[in-house]
Amino acid sequence: MTIAVLFITLFFCMFIGMPIAVALGLSSVATILMFSNDSLASVSLKLFEATSEHYTLLAIPFFILSSAFLSTGGVAKRLINFAVDTVGHIRGGLAMASVMACMLFAAVSGSSPATVAAIGTICIAGMVRSGYPQSFAAGVIANAGTLGILIPPSIVMLVYAAATEVSASRMFMAGFIPGLMMGLILMIAIYIVARIKGLPSQPFPGFRALARSGVIALGGMMLIFIVLGSIYGGIASPTEAAAVAAVYGYLIAVIGYRDIGPMKGIPWQKEGENYATAAARNTAQMLMAIPKSFNDPEVRKVLLDASKVSLMLLFIIANAMLFAHVLTTERIPHTIAESIIAWGLPAWGFLIVVNILLLIAGNFMEPSAIILIMAPILFPIAMQLGIDPIHLGIIMVVNMEIGMLTPPVGLNLFVTAGITGQNMIWVIKACLPWLCLLLGFLMLITYVPQISLFLPEYIDKLNGY
Amino acid sequence: MIKKLVSHFEEGFLSLLLVSMTLLVFAEVVARFGFNAGIHWAQEATLLMAAWFVLFGASYGVKVGAHIGVDVFVKMLPANTHRFFTLLAIVLCLIYCGLFVYGSWIYLSKMKMIGIEMEDIPIPKWIPMSILVIGFVLLIVRFLQLGWKVVIGQAYGFHFADEAEESMEIAKGLKESSLGDIDTHSNPNKDKGDKS
Repeated sequence: MTIAVLFITLFFCMFIGMPIAVALGLSSVATILMFSNDSLASVSLKLFEATSEHYTLLAIPFFILSSAFLSTGGVAKRLINFAVDTVGHIRGGLAMASVMACMLFAAVSGSSPATVAAIGTICIAGMVRSGYPQSFAAGVIANAGTLGILIPPSIVMLVYAAATEVSASRMFMAGFIPGLMMGLILMIAIYIVARIKGLPSQPFPGFRALARSGVIALGGMMLIFIVLGSIYGGIASPTEAAAVAAVYGYLIAVIGYRDIGPMKGIPWQKEGENYATAAARNTAQMLMAIPKSFNDPEVRKVLLDASKVSLMLLFIIANAMLFAHVLTTERIPHTIAESIIAWGLPAWGFLIVVNILLLIAGNFMEPSAIILIMAPILFPIAMQLGIDPIHLGIIMVVNMEIGMLTPPVGLNLFVTAGITGQNMIWVIKACLPWLCLLLGFLMLITYVPQISLFLPEYIDKLNGY
Repeated sequence: MIKKLVSHFEEGFLSLLLVSMTLLVFAEVVARFGFNAGIHWAQEATLLMAAWFVLFGASYGVKVGAHIGVDVFVKMLPANTHRFFTLLAIVLCLIYCGLFVYGSWIYLSKMKMIGIEMEDIPIPKWIPMSILVIGFVLLIVRFLQLGWKVVIGQAYGFHFADEAEESMEIAKGLKESSLGDIDTHSNPNKDKGDKS
């Protein structure tokens, strides 16, 4: 009865178009009022605690802020140049370079649609000009773009950590190998296709050019090293790493790359300027730039955009915590788990059900919302069946990736259609072969938990646990 | 005029909270690594700012359409049915806000009566917690505004954030600046942000 009321109100509210946060909150409050003795005052307190007692959750706004600073076209171009110099000389190299650029940009920006938009705009046009079929180029980019939520630091993983109270650091460790692996699988597939179809390769630019583009791209890539290094090394918590990343993102975007803000368009060295004057001029301008950026319209826009996304996510999370509270106090997952065990469903069967359920949900909702609703239900069941929570998290994230490529709400499909100017049917067809690859990868991740668990366990061993 | 002022205030306040949270945690990291010291009130202050950020921001989110939801189904309905469901949804949202305003009011008045202070910062606990009431009252105002828009036919549903659309801004910016300029080797000095 309680289960029915909770879920019927939730889905009814969601499908008549209420904001997901309010739908979660209202269905939970309604269930609490009807079936338990908690007062409204204590429910309000719960909501306040949900927003003010979870230090780990603060990593979400900070990462969103850092990615807002670095999700610019300028950063994308630099990463693409570096990727083209690195792998462009292999057969089908331009496509491989796009995958690599997607992986790097995805790690920096943490957003799949943004990755497709930024990398795709440049790379699809570039590939078509070098003689790749457009559908091939579009399919590769749309798929590689989904890696954004698998390669750490990833906001979807932080949301999972918030929903299930597993350690966010361990999630970040677990996502690393699967992320690299998926990138490699895509590259190998590209290489095979390139051999068969005789796709072109770029000339090798020489080590000097490679080193040069590497140094330029390093400004953005350092963010990944700082965050992952400090988390893997156990030096800082994800929240602290994220705050450092946000400050670093600001410094790189405004002072290093000068894509936005008060120093936009000021060169590091003017023509004919010697090093000493350039250094003096730059130092003075940098010192001026920091106070100036408080009033800079571009910097303020970045801040505001980051604020909007963060408050939306955090408000959903706060309400989802109420929802999770109802689930636990009413022992709903336990009831489901008991009946599942009574049916004799084995762990692998459960994982198939999980995959199907998530793939369907992925067609209608955004990743974070799905995780917040599904994780509190699936998590206790998985625990009882002996499935590792980290492994379950990675499975969920890979499912969310696929959800970005399936209509009607596949964000990456929309973006790909937007940048290529083709219709949705064309984009879906272009993505289909690569989507199959992703589905195969999902099976691999689901049934070989070691892929996800190797790194976190290895690091634990290093730290002597 | 007043509308603009309110918008400026909301945007400024939210940005300020986000920046202060970030800098406070950053400062704590610097203090710990650089000076081997800690800021004992930092964590509590950051978390309180987070609460204010979320609860104050929720209403702003309704105003600018930053929240997300599932609107694929209602969008398929005829316009008037869509409007009917939206109005129903807004009424439910108002009930939700009403329940929380009521609940938090009771809680706050109790807190004020008892007079408990925060753990690290010496202020009574009900002052920072008042954002619960403030936030949900603001949320009611925004929902009423949206409801009025639906009634007079200016809007049909909630305006939800669309990440795909936002990402297209990056794409547009790139297309304008240089159309698919992937080969830099021919003119390596083109990149402005030369760091070498």
